Amino acid sequence: MRLTLQLLISHGRVARKMGLGPESRINMLRNLLTGLVRHERIETTAARADEVRFYAEKLVDYAKKGDTDEKAMKMASFWLTEKDLVPKLFKVLAPRFEPHSNGYTRMARIPNKENLDKAKMAVLEYKGNPFPPLYPVKKKNELALVNQLLKGYREERAKA
Amino acid sequence: MVTRTVCQVLQRRFSSAAAALRASPADVRSQRNAVFSREQARQRALYPRIEKIEVSMQCPGLEGTLLVMNRGMSTPLSCARHLTEHYVDNSALALVDGEPWSVHQPLTHACSLTLLTFKDNDPTIANQAYWRSCSALLGQVLETAFKEDFTVELLSSMDVEIATAGAFCCDVVLDPQLDSWTPSEESLRSLTRGAQQLIHQDLAWEPLVVVPSVALEVFSHSRCRQEEVEQKASQSPTGTVMLHRCGDHVLLSAGPLVGRTGLCSQYDVTALHSLGEGPWGLQRRAQGLSLPLQMEAHHTVWRKLKQRAGRLVEMPKPEEVTPPASEQPATTSA
Repeated sequence: MRLTLQLLISHGRVARKMGLGPESRINMLRNLLTGLVRHERIETTAARADEVRFYAEKLVDYAKKGDTDEKAMKMASFWLTEKDLVPKLFKVLAPRFEPHSNGYTRMARIPNKENLDKAKMAVLEYKGNPFPPLYPVKKKNELALVNQLLKGYREERAKA
Repeated sequence: MVTRTVCQVLQRRFSSAAAALRASPADVRSQRNAVFSREQARQRALYPRIEKIEVSMQCPGLEGTLLVMNRGMSTPLSCARHLTEHYVDNSALALVDGEPWSVHQPLTHACSLTLLTFKDNDPTIANQAYWRSCSALLGQVLETAFKEDFTVELLSSMDVEIATAGAFCCDVVLDPQLDSWTPSEESLRSLTRGAQQLIHQDLAWEPLVVVPSVALEVFSHSRCRQEEVEQKASQSPTGTVMLHRCGDHVLLSAGPLVGRTGLCSQYDVTALHSLGEGPWGLQRRAQGLSLPLQMEAHHTVWRKLKQRAGRLVEMPKPEEVTPPASEQPATTSA
């Protein structure tokens, strides 16, 4: 769902054409989303990751309504092809994202495929997963020399 | 009051007469260098046979690494050379059995070794050593910045708190002819340039632990440094003092300095305040600000820190540091 000039003149046709047709596309996305909910981090082509990202966020939005909600349960049982994941969605993912209103997923580019098609690849993950971070964690060190100097500067400013 | 002014006049006379008699700064430097080199060679000759010691590394990621080094010959830097280039380039200071230790100082016994960088989790010791080194560098710049016919006398330097002071400082007494001189922005800039040149040369600070008699010989031209040597020797538990040499400048320091001048990257001399009349003449306090390599501040932040570093750093003055104005200065230097 990119905001581009192309999107502006697309006359509402915002979804990519993938697979063998609309139905095949939906099935493919269902499988991807099931994998994402199971493993919390998946590796796929950039276009598919980008496409499934919208549905992954939407699914968490539905799950937040609770497992007594009829529409939420219908959505969960449609999008998760493996039914043992339905409790995980309501009991694990929904409480995890309770404080956030959007942005439950993170996408990162990875090197292209090595084989013939050289496809653009990406990693999609739900935030707050137990895996090592995708991006290097920025270290904060209050005792570093610059930070010590800045601390003194700030204290002096506060006093004046 | 009258006696005091008379004393000062006498002292001025004496010191200027002594300055006339005294050798030129270049001669003083070469003499200090010669004594330093002689003592260094003597200390190296103490270990004629190669003996092996075991050094166990304590850095994170290197636990259990055991290096077999030469006693009295290998330094923490040579240990780092057995590891990776990262340790060679970034280690500022070493901890030998928990004691701060310069990276150029030879190891004398089997020990555990930690190499400290500025990006450790707790870089306090390295930061203090860095601040001390920066003020040593400032002293070196001040000593060489003036023309040959002006004498520059460095006074004892004390460690300052980094966060509260915001600048390192170096006390200096300039030639009496320069008492009316007020440094302009331009002259501070030229001092900064001198420091940058030293940083660019990437000189090592070579440490040497000596007994007070050798230190007194090194500083035989400077009465105030001699008093500082005596005071430091009496304070230290082993009765020794620590000298450092950087290029051709020999200095007395309160503790170990970082490995080399190249570890500084941003360096600015921010102010040269005059503190008023001291026992040795008009005292001035040079101040500066510096940050180590790979920790550069953005120019806006740097400007703010620099403005703060320009203000005078107040230091609690212990009584014993100021010696009484003695009637017989500089007689030993003749």
